[in-house]
Amino acid sequence: MEAFLSQLPQQLVNGLTLGGVYALIALGYSMVFGVLKLLNFAHGDVYMVGAFIGFGVMSAFLDGAALTAPAILVVVIMFLAAMAGCGILGVGVERIAYRRLRRAPRIAALISALGMSFFIQNAVQLTLSADFRAYQPQLLIPPGTGFDILGVHISAIRALAIVLAVVLMFLLHYLVQKSKLGKAMRAVATDPEAATMMGVDVDRVIVATFFVGSALAGAAGVITGLVFIRVWHFMGFLAGLKGFVAAVIGGIGNIPGAMLGGFILGLVETFAIGFVSATFRDVIAFAVLILVLLLKPQGLLGARIPDRA
Amino acid sequence: MALLELRNLSKSFGGLQVLEDLSLQVEEGEILGLIGPNGAGKTTVLNVISGIYKPDGGEILMDGSPIAGLAPHQVTARGIARTFQTLRLFINMSVIDNVVSAGYGQMRSNLAQIIFRTPAFRREEAEMRARAEDLLGFFGERITGYRLDQPAYSLSYANRRRLEIARALMTSPRLLLLDEPAAGMNPAETQEVTQLIGRLREEGGYTILFIEHDMGVVADISDRVMALDHGRVISEGHYDDVVADPAVIEAYLGTGGVARK
Amino acid sequence: MTDRDQPPTTKPELLGRDEWVSEHDQRVRRDTWTAIGAAIERVPFVLRLAIIAAAALAFPIFTDNNYVLRIVGTVALFASLAMGLNLVAGFAGLLDLGYVAFYGIGGYAYAYFSSDFLGIHLPTWVTLLIVVALGALFGWLLGLPSMRLTGDYLAIATLGFLLVFIQLATSLTRVSLPWTDGPVDLTGGPNGIVNLDDFSLFGFTASTVEHYLVILVGLLLVVMTVAHNLDRSRVGRGWRALRENELAANVMGMPTKRLKLLAFVFGSAIAGMSGMTFAAWQGAVFPNNFAVPLLITMYSIIVLGGLGSIPGVLVGSFILVVVPELLRDVGLASTLFYGAVILTLFVAIKPRWQAAAVVAGTALVGIAARLFLPGEPPGVGEGLGALVGQILVVPGNDPQLVGNIAFMAVLGLLFLSVYLPTRTLKLVALVPLLWLLALAWNTRLSQDPSVTRLLLIGLTLVALMNFRPAGLFGRTRVEVM
Repeated sequence: MEAFLSQLPQQLVNGLTLGGVYALIALGYSMVFGVLKLLNFAHGDVYMVGAFIGFGVMSAFLDGAALTAPAILVVVIMFLAAMAGCGILGVGVERIAYRRLRRAPRIAALISALGMSFFIQNAVQLTLSADFRAYQPQLLIPPGTGFDILGVHISAIRALAIVLAVVLMFLLHYLVQKSKLGKAMRAVATDPEAATMMGVDVDRVIVATFFVGSALAGAAGVITGLVFIRVWHFMGFLAGLKGFVAAVIGGIGNIPGAMLGGFILGLVETFAIGFVSATFRDVIAFAVLILVLLLKPQGLLGARIPDRA
Repeated sequence: MALLELRNLSKSFGGLQVLEDLSLQVEEGEILGLIGPNGAGKTTVLNVISGIYKPDGGEILMDGSPIAGLAPHQVTARGIARTFQTLRLFINMSVIDNVVSAGYGQMRSNLAQIIFRTPAFRREEAEMRARAEDLLGFFGERITGYRLDQPAYSLSYANRRRLEIARALMTSPRLLLLDEPAAGMNPAETQEVTQLIGRLREEGGYTILFIEHDMGVVADISDRVMALDHGRVISEGHYDDVVADPAVIEAYLGTGGVARK
Repeated sequence: MTDRDQPPTTKPELLGRDEWVSEHDQRVRRDTWTAIGAAIERVPFVLRLAIIAAAALAFPIFTDNNYVLRIVGTVALFASLAMGLNLVAGFAGLLDLGYVAFYGIGGYAYAYFSSDFLGIHLPTWVTLLIVVALGALFGWLLGLPSMRLTGDYLAIATLGFLLVFIQLATSLTRVSLPWTDGPVDLTGGPNGIVNLDDFSLFGFTASTVEHYLVILVGLLLVVMTVAHNLDRSRVGRGWRALRENELAANVMGMPTKRLKLLAFVFGSAIAGMSGMTFAAWQGAVFPNNFAVPLLITMYSIIVLGGLGSIPGVLVGSFILVVVPELLRDVGLASTLFYGAVILTLFVAIKPRWQAAAVVAGTALVGIAARLFLPGEPPGVGEGLGALVGQILVVPGNDPQLVGNIAFMAVLGLLFLSVYLPTRTLKLVALVPLLWLLALAWNTRLSQDPSVTRLLLIGLTLVALMNFRPAGLFGRTRVEVM
């Protein structure tokens, strides 16, 4: 009990950090599902590419063991590059894998998505690495920097991660609720045909949705690199799955739900690792998924959709 | 005892009360027409009877036994079949397969007989196929012959409707629920539908409950008519009486309208 | 009225009337593959089985080459495994992404009961019964919660199941059970379980590739028969009906939940049997035998062959096993690759002279590059690879890096060219794109066949779904709006 309590605050911080990552990934899933009613399998791999872009940027500014530019600038560029790059990648995925299959049966789009995901994974493996690549966050932020709250030491990196995740989510929320584009997105998510008839350019909205969702995933990728150091080409598959679980927990298609689901999953997984066993971290996510699907399939914040025959 | 009896049925969807304290009876061998403005709940009645929705309250009795809450395939086993307002054919399957597939509930071959293709299995398959061809022949030559193996999507609209009825008949029902059988038909085809409903009762012995908007059909063929509005029965009886009932006129046309004879 | 057996020829006065619409099927253009598929359907099933058996068993008779025999065996094995998936995903339309886990369960079950790992050595036929039962049981267990899920959710939930299986197989090496002293190794971890007994049926023990080939062909014939007979029964019709319109199927008396479970159970039982046979053949099981690349390969087989088509699975399996093997030889692979590229160009670009222009333009770009850029031409093997290599050039001394950059440039250019406004511009953009693609192939893609093969499989899936979702032998399907 002693050990549990004393570790609790630290585990909370870890859980929130991981949760932030999952929430950012889950948001992309939820948004795309909302407008296309499709699970974008390749989303997790977009996240992975983001992590690699961040790594590439960092390597570009590295000369031996020293940075050639101020750390803050490097970090900003890492995030911007990853978000922009992933946004574009997401748009490309939509155009190539999904655009023609809008009216096709579900199974066709899912298989196309699967193929796309596989292609991206192996393209990265071929060109960038089959091995793990390691970020070097210690060069960006000296280790030990951080601040202490209530006796808990929160490292600067983790603080950055959590804050950034929350900020991005707020920006997204603002975008969806208050902007014209957001309104269009919500319209398309509700009824694409009606939206078209109201003058909404559905194609453009879908492209924008993919861009934003993928950009968030890109940010999540860089965060993962900074906090968890190692990146490799297969990380997207697993993270994508967990991002999906998070989206389902909150209610797929529901944006606040995705955020909630992400944090819940992050906390559950971290607690499981910390207090039970690290071997089963992935099994936990799956178990949670099954539980949610059996007990409350529409998610915590999702609404029951009555189906009319 | 009525063949089908609905007692005090109620059903709501997320706050919208679609059926409210609805009661009706269908006698064996009769043709009952169900009319009412759009949104009156007519298709919902059919959906509740066939087990697609569970009623919130009330009872449904088929031949005296309660069937509310049963799964659709179980309701079908009790002798109720239906067609759909918007066609729900197995569009990529062949015409004959559409009908034969509905024989599922009456076939007795088990997995072992299927996998080893025993003589008993082959016999049953042949019988079912012959029966399906027979039922398709009910409509003349239109969906028989070389058409049997063509995919259902190659059929014209009117033929698709006929196919859907044939498929429903394959389940050997006692009660047939037809949802707007004349929808989208021209006058000649509509006349055929009217005769068809009559033939189904005379030659097939089926009891029929049908929804229709085309009053000509309702007038010509129903023994009895029931009018629905806002989920309740507002009038019932012979066509002429129902159509002259001020409550029905008001439901369709608002106050001051004139009914068609 | 019309003659029952002969479809009437179209008469102009019938235009717009019932008969014209109904003759639609006769007017649909049949392409070669559909025609082949139709021809195959006309051959009696038993004869088809005999032909396959004869073709497969001809190999051990006429050749000693173990490599070739192993390939034939793998084709048979993958065909059996994919056939089970065809039941679930092809016939019933259930996107089960966890399918390969049942293959693994069969493999590990065999390992448990026929090796020194647990010290149990059951006779093969007993293990077979156990594996079929276990496979069916797990299929049923996974199927039950899946009944409530729609396509996308089902896919993810089953995928989760597979990933959990792989995870457990890899990491359950130190498990503390209440009745043991210390931690126990349940699965052999990443190093798997080795030294499995050989198959032993009717007093005869399989030990060579030839023996296993016979067993694998036998398995394939059994699986094909089961699938074929199920298809032509009320179960098969039920699966197709529920795939077309689940609600209507229910209302027409078909218990769709039970049918879905049945599909799962049959699929997983078949996968289990295949897994067991594979384990005996390989003599060992490892977690990464049952991983995601195999899953993708299985889906590629059934999609390429045509969802729901039994001959399609055989052809798909053949292509997806044999072609990657051919690709191992760099020269042959390059010839195939460039051949395919040129073929695609000439099929997709009409009028044909434009395709020729693009190819010529690429050659010109290459020659210019050779003249003005420093560096060596990268030739690969003989054949087209060497020929194309003549118009390529690698600046600098790191061909791998150049290849990587070229590959990424190809993807970028491809993406950009989609947004070019006119067709002419797109054709012009094709020229540098093709040159870069050739450069990427010669320097990088051809050097790593195992990864390139996976990459191409992913690409094939996307292309198939976009351009020919029915695969080779599937029927084009109409979707109700």
